[in-house]
Amino acid sequence: MLHALLISNGLQGLEKYYVSNEQVQYTTCLITKDFDPDLLPYDLLVVPNGSDHVAMLKIKDKVRAFLDAGRALVCCDGFFTAWVPGNQWVMDNSRRTQDVRYAPGTDRHHLLDNLDLDQLNFSHGMSGWWACGYIEAAPGADVLLADTWQRPIVVLDEVSTGGRMLLTASGPLADVTYAGQSDSALVALYRNFIHLLSTSSVPAHG
Amino acid sequence: MAKIGLIFNGVWSHYALATAPKYRDLYRLLYVHDLDGEAVRDLDALAIPFQSNQAVLTEKQAVIYDFLAAGKKVFLEGDSSTAWLDAQWEDRPVNNYWWVTDPTNPPVSDTNYEHPVYQDLTPRQACWHTHGVYTRVPASAEIIQTNAEGEVITWQTQQYGGTLLATTLDPIVEHGVQQITHLDNYVDHLTEWLCGVRPAPERLTIDAAVYGAGVRL
Repeated sequence: MLHALLISNGLQGLEKYYVSNEQVQYTTCLITKDFDPDLLPYDLLVVPNGSDHVAMLKIKDKVRAFLDAGRALVCCDGFFTAWVPGNQWVMDNSRRTQDVRYAPGTDRHHLLDNLDLDQLNFSHGMSGWWACGYIEAAPGADVLLADTWQRPIVVLDEVSTGGRMLLTASGPLADVTYAGQSDSALVALYRNFIHLLSTSSVPAHG
Repeated sequence: MAKIGLIFNGVWSHYALATAPKYRDLYRLLYVHDLDGEAVRDLDALAIPFQSNQAVLTEKQAVIYDFLAAGKKVFLEGDSSTAWLDAQWEDRPVNNYWWVTDPTNPPVSDTNYEHPVYQDLTPRQACWHTHGVYTRVPASAEIIQTNAEGEVITWQTQQYGGTLLATTLDPIVEHGVQQITHLDNYVDHLTEWLCGVRPAPERLTIDAAVYGAGVRL
């Protein structure tokens, strides 16, 4: 059983997407003016879509220490402040969304297994719906998905810290089936990462 | 000098809009956890975007109502809470693909195009998708937009002194996200209505230098 800390910005509906189950127990941390959570009791830090990256910047040293202790981070949002070790998300609107297509890259832990990439490429025939901008990935990090222009969109970083980070360019990840939504690619990727953390006896860095 | 305070929840889409070269001289980010009367004193208007922290807005509601009492304008988009607003917002499934699957049945069916924000907009520019509806609004409210079921999408009232314009559209968030490319029209109208200054007639661009180490907070 993983113990995850879910950072909440007080947005409506978040609790429906991250529901405790047999693999992961979520504890929600609501951001307040005095936001300063103790991360070390947890295995996983989840920073979902719509998060407060001003607040996250305030605890960047804690996040670094948490990861260096071998723990894990999922950030599936536009992390516009510099709080994620080694990696930076950047907004960009210079490319047409209708030209966006994702292509798989290095996937040594099979995080893309059972993932229908077309579901991330198209929603009702529209492309460019899932992610925004791109990630300036750390050297040596695995780029799981890149866009049409070879820019990192999903990154697994096991080199910048002592832990693991799964990062998306603001593409939401969650098990939304608990909210009655369909089992889709963004669910599969999230579940595969949870499965990796749950079953891996080998910490990041091997 | 900035004239519009954008109440900011640390969400990237709010930041993207307020730091875009086109808008950054007109909008000031107001981090919601630091919001107080002094922070808004010299502003003409406030904008409260979708994906705001309703619990903190409830704590800070006096700042908003004091601002309105001073005769100024407040724009509210997306959801809201009855804990601070005398209106009932209700969630509904978001349909952002109607223009592909059912283009003759948009989420807004009636718009008062006499309102300054909506003047000269096309129906597509006046509605892209909605986040819920209002099932109750203040008795004094003027209805600006409704859906096919007659539920309220956009309304306005002067009962608090200034003008409060509320909508379940999300122009600030969606324009920051930039997946819909025609929102310069709505947001430019809105900006001019809020502060009297018309932004440059150009498409929103992003300044990559203000992301990461160069962030401006």
